[in-house]
Amino acid sequence: MKTIVDGLFRQNPVFKLALGLVPAVAVTTTAYNGLVLGVTTTIVLVIAVAVSAMLAERVPQTARPAINLAVLALLTMCAYQALLRLDPQVVANLGIFLPLIVVNGIALQTLDKKVELRQAVTDAFGSGLGFAAALVVVGIIRELLAFGTIFGATVVESRLPIFALAATVPGGMVILGLLLALYNAVTGQGGELSE
Amino acid sequence: MNNGLDMLGMGLLTQNLVLLQGLGMYALTRHTKTVDGAAKAGGAMLGAMATGGLAAWLLGTLAIPESLVFLTYLAAACLSAFFWQRLLGMPSSLSGGLLDSALVGLLLLLAREQVTGFAAVAYAVSAGLGYWLALIIVASLRQRLELAPIPKAFRGVPLILITAGLLGMALLGFRL
Repeated sequence: MKTIVDGLFRQNPVFKLALGLVPAVAVTTTAYNGLVLGVTTTIVLVIAVAVSAMLAERVPQTARPAINLAVLALLTMCAYQALLRLDPQVVANLGIFLPLIVVNGIALQTLDKKVELRQAVTDAFGSGLGFAAALVVVGIIRELLAFGTIFGATVVESRLPIFALAATVPGGMVILGLLLALYNAVTGQGGELSE
Repeated sequence: MNNGLDMLGMGLLTQNLVLLQGLGMYALTRHTKTVDGAAKAGGAMLGAMATGGLAAWLLGTLAIPESLVFLTYLAAACLSAFFWQRLLGMPSSLSGGLLDSALVGLLLLLAREQVTGFAAVAYAVSAGLGYWLALIIVASLRQRLELAPIPKAFRGVPLILITAGLLGMALLGFRL
């Protein structure tokens, strides 16, 4: 339980570890996009980590990166096809960023670690939830600023958007940068990342 | 995409992978501490993208079923990334290497827009140059800001994102 709570806030992959920033700036123009991508990534990540941990003993160390990537790619493809049947519009909105789950920094770093099955799945679930929560938060703010709505419901009645650039990638970068600074100020963290 | 100059303009300015499409954030936040480091990371990615463009040229000549397009282009990205990682003596781990969202994203864009033939290579090289340029500019700005009195909460990733965001907004002007 502690790992899951850590993943949501103290060790949030987006806000604390600066992982998964590509979807956070590119697809969170609406909260719904963020929610769908976050939940899909969490499901793919948990299953991939479970399969990888189960195969770890049977696969030689040198072949592990290739096997992990193949598992991730197959699961991403399955998730893509499932979403295409459930909601084709959101698949169109997410564009190339849905298949890019396969190179999500959170997934690649989690799969590079060698831990036992239960721990790996708990860590992945916590990271995935934290990632989804971060995407939804960024999505809510960007959607409100760009369109005056939250999850499609009108909140601000205005003919002109509050900050139209929030719907663009550069606007997303600035908003995410400000959110990260706020997170750092609240948690007393901040500073340079190691390479 | 009409001619080479158009493509160069798209890769560098109007469709810059990092600043306008949000790809390659991992490298932007990790490899821009020094201009030298950024130049090396950007150069390696430029090579991988050029090789990826060649692979896209070859794949464009094959009749690949739609359901397998993603896997074949991903495989091409993997081969390009690991070829350059081995050539440059980089570790073969998945994270932190050349197999990142910029390379895979570029190949997926080429597949989606059905860019084939020499145009695929030309677009990949111009996108690589745009990636390299973005890393170098952000690294130079970071070095200039090193001695500036910036609040601790903004140091590191927040400042990089805000800097890149403002640069991207400036580039949006070229789209008009």
